[in-house]
Amino acid sequence: MADTPILTIEGLNVLYGDYQVLWDVSMQVGQGEVVAVLGPNGSGKSTVLKAIMGLAPAKSGKVMFEGRDITRVPTHEMVSLGISMVLERRRLFSAMTVRENVLLGAYHHSVSKDARRQLEWVESLFPILAERRDQVAGKMSGGEQQMVAIARSLMSKPRLLLMDEPYLGLAPRIVKQIGEIITRINQDGIAVIFNEQNVQLSFGLSNHGYLLEGGRVVLSGTGDEMIHSDVIRRVYLGV
Amino acid sequence: MTFSLLIEQIINGLIIGSMYALIGSGLALVYGTMRVLNLAHGEFYMLGGYFVFFLAVTYGVPSYLAIPVAIVATFILGMLIQRLTIHYLMGKEGWQFSTIAATLGLSIFLQNAALLMFGEQFESVPYYLNGVIEIGSIRLPLQRLLIFVVAIVTIGAMTFILKKTRLGWAIRATAQDRDAAAVVGIPAERIYLITFGLAGALGAIAAAMLAPIYAINPWSGLPILLKGFVVVILGGLGSFPGAIAGGLLLGVVEAIGVQLTSSEWRDVIGFAMMIGVIWWRPWGLFGKKPT
Amino acid sequence: MFQPVKPSQWLVIAAAILVMAAVPLVTRNSYLLHVLILTMIFGIFASAWNLVAGFGGMKTFGHHAFFGIGAYVSALLSIKAGWSPWLTIWFGALAATGAGLFIGLPILRIKSMSHVAIVTLGFAEIVRIVISNLQTITRGELGLWGIRPFEGFTLPFFGEITFSPADKVPYYYLILLLLIGSTAVIMLLMRSRTGLSIIAMRDAEDAAESLGVNLTRQKLLVFAVSAFLVGIAGAFYAHYISILTPTAAVGIDLMILVIAMALVGGLSTFSGPLVGALLLTGTVELLRDLDQYRLLVYGAMIILIVMFLPKGLTTLGPVLRKRFASR
Repeated sequence: MADTPILTIEGLNVLYGDYQVLWDVSMQVGQGEVVAVLGPNGSGKSTVLKAIMGLAPAKSGKVMFEGRDITRVPTHEMVSLGISMVLERRRLFSAMTVRENVLLGAYHHSVSKDARRQLEWVESLFPILAERRDQVAGKMSGGEQQMVAIARSLMSKPRLLLMDEPYLGLAPRIVKQIGEIITRINQDGIAVIFNEQNVQLSFGLSNHGYLLEGGRVVLSGTGDEMIHSDVIRRVYLGV
Repeated sequence: MTFSLLIEQIINGLIIGSMYALIGSGLALVYGTMRVLNLAHGEFYMLGGYFVFFLAVTYGVPSYLAIPVAIVATFILGMLIQRLTIHYLMGKEGWQFSTIAATLGLSIFLQNAALLMFGEQFESVPYYLNGVIEIGSIRLPLQRLLIFVVAIVTIGAMTFILKKTRLGWAIRATAQDRDAAAVVGIPAERIYLITFGLAGALGAIAAAMLAPIYAINPWSGLPILLKGFVVVILGGLGSFPGAIAGGLLLGVVEAIGVQLTSSEWRDVIGFAMMIGVIWWRPWGLFGKKPT
Repeated sequence: MFQPVKPSQWLVIAAAILVMAAVPLVTRNSYLLHVLILTMIFGIFASAWNLVAGFGGMKTFGHHAFFGIGAYVSALLSIKAGWSPWLTIWFGALAATGAGLFIGLPILRIKSMSHVAIVTLGFAEIVRIVISNLQTITRGELGLWGIRPFEGFTLPFFGEITFSPADKVPYYYLILLLLIGSTAVIMLLMRSRTGLSIIAMRDAEDAAESLGVNLTRQKLLVFAVSAFLVGIAGAFYAHYISILTPTAAVGIDLMILVIAMALVGGLSTFSGPLVGALLLTGTVELLRDLDQYRLLVYGAMIILIVMFLPKGLTTLGPVLRKRFASR
């Protein structure tokens, strides 16, 4: 199994109404890998993650997780398979407390029995969770909210974590912190796929990347290969 | 108005207001969770009343048994109605209006189905409790006291469910962010189903308690729905605690207002207050202004 | 959204008017004429509601208030002040317009569709209860009767025209004229700059706002025109039926019926509400014997239309064509 990718996307097409956002997208995430999905605004990189999670409707194509077709699995069943997601802009349950938010991450019955142990683990990753457990989540700063959001996503013991724009709107200091956390999570054996606009920022973390433009994969490769590619320069600088 | 009359009216207002609160909280729960304005909510009340009537009066089931059965029946009916209609409209193009229109259709359909099945006569249920208690100069029939106690217990139970149970957490999470809830494994569709059921049950509880005082007929849901509207606007549409406060406030204002004018102006007082609130604080009297 | 009216469409409009105008020449059956008169009253009402709720995107549930205000103001002026109904119907319509502005202004500030629905419904209930409670003036639920009919006049070639319960033909032509007039007003309004900008912004409210486009005045105009037309329909109804009760003239059933008509025919189309009015009034009368099922059928019809044909029957043609074409 070690060589089978944990996630495989084959020929994915996604339409919003009549508007096609993704064209024939194929990607792979290996076991324990960190993969970056890059691209400018509106390139469809966020839609890739949403489509994996079932939040965006796949018109055709296939999403395979650990060799199993999950294209039509409803979003709320994903956690039971071992997939979790940090949504863009955190999307906490803002009127609920930090503790409630985090515990809801283990809502699904397939994972709720281990909630206590998982809670200890995520609180060791983010000490702030225990300190602020009774604070209303919506009142926290952006960086703190992002930590709660990541903690919530880890409560279900995922083997694959999707992170939609994890750095968006965060101060550089927080970005660094979040980056360290992603590395830490990955060391615990969780594969991560995230999207990000900034190429430099992404390759500090990832083994592998895909570049999207206009909803199509135009380039893929390791960090070094991609940073030195002309395609990157064309897409980002318009050269 | 003498002082003791004022006190008496406030007590009467709180008692009837506690029922308005139950009606309003059902509307608020559905709106808060699904953003659906349920124009058929009054029919939950009407059908709940008939269930109690048939069980308790026609079949002579003791009321302490008849009422819970009626509540469960309305709960199931609420879920069934949601599954057969609203379920198919949620998230589709123009769902905000299509759900309102569909519940309008449901309301008319259920009223007239009740008319065909049960006839247009006014039915009523005997008092569950007889007797009166006297506190100073104020005489309070036990039946009315029972209404208030049941309302408090119901509100307490709902608050407990929402705050302390897995289901309650799931309802609140879905209400705040449907997608985020789905991502953590909460199936929004099942939550919507249960929410509709709970709203039905709340309507049936109010119906059971008011059945001995107000007659049941196919149209008895409409005035109740309109009361519920006033309540949710006062409390802020979609807020459960707001609906409780709004219900009690409406009850008291109506009772005092009727004392000052006359009973045929009762409804005008409520609606005028509602329009004033929309003008002045559209997010409700008790909530904070949304940013 | 609107192309210029095509010659073929002008043909349909002209044919519809001709057919309607020819009916009394073919039959003087007063029952049939009565049904058609009701259809046309509802046709005006439903089109005017569609103007606000469909084209304007403001989902109000309280237009029956304007119908009642138009009816009662016109009836009371003709009874108490002794004025001619030919004059009072316009005052009735103006009173409805005033009420429309009064409630239209606050609801335009409200973004939430549900709030709009609740407030307008509540407003109409206030109107109904006030009319019902002011018994010394309106006689409440006992009914306001003795409303004067329109005065007769002499027309060249046709001779004496008298409005009486015995002869429905004059009423028939009067309401037909009002229907043509109101439909023309609605079509002209929606093809004017006002109408086009409202349509353009209806589905993009946020975008419009961020661009600094403020449509309050235009929307208020649409609301006022709509209230005026409903008021006229109500005023005509008063002098035609000649007895008013709050339940019949301001009852919520009236609004439900009109919403059903507009939905069944098709919201946001010119012909939808008219087709809906004809269909629903017609079916009801055909099924007179089954009167007790009438509202049950309406309720079911609203649910089914919303679920399976959300754009209404007038769009059935294109929908079917598309379906068969795709096979």
